[in-house]
Amino acid sequence: MTVASFQGSPSQQELADEVYRLMTTQGSLFAIDAPIRQSLDNLADYLAGKYQRGRDEIAADIDAALQANEGIFAREETERGVLYVTSRQGAYVPRSDADTHSFRQRLHEPENPLPIDDISVVVSTSRPAITTVEPVFISDYWQVQAGMAPLHLVPSIDALGQMSTAPAAPVAAEDVAAAPELVIAEPEPVAAEPVAEPDLVIAEPEPVIAEPEPVIAEPEPVVAEPEPVVAEPEPVIAEPEPVVAEPEPVVAKPEPVVAKPPRQIPSDRNTVITLAEGLSIDLRRPIADILAEQGERLEQILSERIDQDPLRRIVSFGRSYYPEASVVNLGKNDLRKIRDYILERNEPLSDTEIIADLYYHNPRQADYEGFRFSLNYRLHREKDFEFVGVEGARLWSTKGLPAISGKRVKAAEMGQITSYLVEGYDNSLEGQSAESISKSGTLTRLLTFFEWEYGVLPFDASITALVPTPMLPDQRSAMLRFESPQHYTSYLVEVRYPTGNRGGWLQGLEEFFREHLVPGAMITIARGSEPNLFTISYEEAAETEDRLLTLDEKKNKFSFANLTYFCAVDADQVPSQSRYGKLKNLKSLPMGERRKSEVVLEHIIEVMGEQVGSRSEPRYSISMDDLLLSYNVLRPGSRNLLEHLLENGEAFSADEANAGRYTFTPPQSEGGASADEPEDSGEGEDLQPARRRFGRYTDDDE
Amino acid sequence: MDAKMVTFGETSLDKLLQWLRSSGEPKDIKDVLQQYLLILSRSVTEDSE
Repeated sequence: MTVASFQGSPSQQELADEVYRLMTTQGSLFAIDAPIRQSLDNLADYLAGKYQRGRDEIAADIDAALQANEGIFAREETERGVLYVTSRQGAYVPRSDADTHSFRQRLHEPENPLPIDDISVVVSTSRPAITTVEPVFISDYWQVQAGMAPLHLVPSIDALGQMSTAPAAPVAAEDVAAAPELVIAEPEPVAAEPVAEPDLVIAEPEPVIAEPEPVIAEPEPVVAEPEPVVAEPEPVIAEPEPVVAEPEPVVAKPEPVVAKPPRQIPSDRNTVITLAEGLSIDLRRPIADILAEQGERLEQILSERIDQDPLRRIVSFGRSYYPEASVVNLGKNDLRKIRDYILERNEPLSDTEIIADLYYHNPRQADYEGFRFSLNYRLHREKDFEFVGVEGARLWSTKGLPAISGKRVKAAEMGQITSYLVEGYDNSLEGQSAESISKSGTLTRLLTFFEWEYGVLPFDASITALVPTPMLPDQRSAMLRFESPQHYTSYLVEVRYPTGNRGGWLQGLEEFFREHLVPGAMITIARGSEPNLFTISYEEAAETEDRLLTLDEKKNKFSFANLTYFCAVDADQVPSQSRYGKLKNLKSLPMGERRKSEVVLEHIIEVMGEQVGSRSEPRYSISMDDLLLSYNVLRPGSRNLLEHLLENGEAFSADEANAGRYTFTPPQSEGGASADEPEDSGEGEDLQPARRRFGRYTDDDE
Repeated sequence: MDAKMVTFGETSLDKLLQWLRSSGEPKDIKDVLQQYLLILSRSVTEDSE
């Protein structure tokens, strides 16, 4: 600023310039717009000494010069005399505290808001790695737009419609603060009653019962946060719970709470939905009640309807549902990488293992569950992958993995052999109820020869109560891990679930059975710490050596061999030579023949039964216990199945003379074989079976 | 909205989709059903105010 910038006579301009330099030098460290004050007395004292002039005289000159430049020097008359104020930028302009550029205000209450279809556009859906409960403020404007806010706080529904195009005046902070007055003005008869005590707020049941769902069901914790309640009084009206926690605002302004009208539904309004399946849902009722009564059926119907959605907007895997648009895509390289990794590990892998090892995703990442769902959903749609997991342990297998139980047991044959279980001949629950198995998580059962030899367990009702059910509707099998705490070994066991008229079974325990057990041993299977983890154990006993039945696969013959075992057994169920010597005469029928339960039964009785007929008219008698044990050498079978076969087979009959025994009379062969036989054959002689029903094995009879 | 206009599994499915999106993670069918009933309940009752 130069002398020419000042007004007045030349002497006044020079004087004003000198005073200005004096004052700005004094305030050289001030802010550029900060006021610099100096009294007229001080200025006169200083300049009078400097120019050796009279103080009053120069004071008058200064006053005149500065008043001539009142645009730069503001004159203030105070108790301390006359003060002049200026600033380094010239005239002093008082700083304005008015906040005309509030980012918070512009963010929450924009002047020209865009219409929103999805609240997720406004509220971030990503979750922090470490979950922290922090209050997130969402203005009433956005809550109303998203249908989250209580509508009764807004003056009218019409106002809502305007808010999408006009500035959000109705829900601005000032207007919200004035909301109680608006409510009080409503001519409610209830407001006329002198009910202003805060305890009535708590006792008023309608708002609490009528709107509990929004608070519980909304995933955003915004509504439940108490902080906005303190800042703004209206949530107190909307949510009675914070009122209980912080009663002060309610005591100060009880009127709005009293004046709040309860939400009423006209009695003539139809709130009952009738479904095509015959169900009716009254939406007036609490949702918890509806779910308690019809939850399972409604879940089924809703999942069917979602699956039938032509746009496939929501997709599912098991019981999990997720927007299709949010599913992460997996390319061919991803699928190849996953398949190669499963083959490298040589066993089915869980989804979490795949994600951790191949994608390095951490369960604490916000998108972890979404990615996990995407992986499972994509793999399920690929033909090269098969889901073999259970709920809680989602395992994936792929083409090329070795079969669990080798090739000794073919799935098609075992499915037919165990079909008696789905046909209703299952008495596995006679010794232990399904409830006790399911509750205790343990199952104790006897090991038969067939189970011991092939390492399989029929998927009967007792096993069903123990192992997890299929997670997917089209799931064929599941992989379980059986651990032996007695030997610190573990085995991968495949569960083949029953399908249609075919039974199910467990396979993969051959090594454990053959190494540590013998037929007739009692085994205990118990659930482990994971859904797919089980333990298998047995009762240990002193060393025992016996000649037990074995199958020589090379010769395809049964024989007895010396076996030493250390497990407790049921002596009646052990196929020892001393008790069941005839078992070695059984034919090791191919699995295709063993599917025919009647054929196996006749063969068993012919070999194991006592000949009680004549050579010309042979009849065989056998007890049920012996029959059951022998039958389970060739294939699994239950007592119910055998009883059914014996009662319905024409050639079988109950032995009336000996309870618990059955007789079998083989049909006479064509051509009257007996007629060719000499008549003088002695009856009661220990004859070989007269009829060779299994022609191609006749040579091996002896 | 009158309940007669509601088709279970079709009506307001877009709102259910919004909720699923905003939740950011897969939801069990039990939770999905509960939320869907809540949406339908709101649709039927709020219009009557």
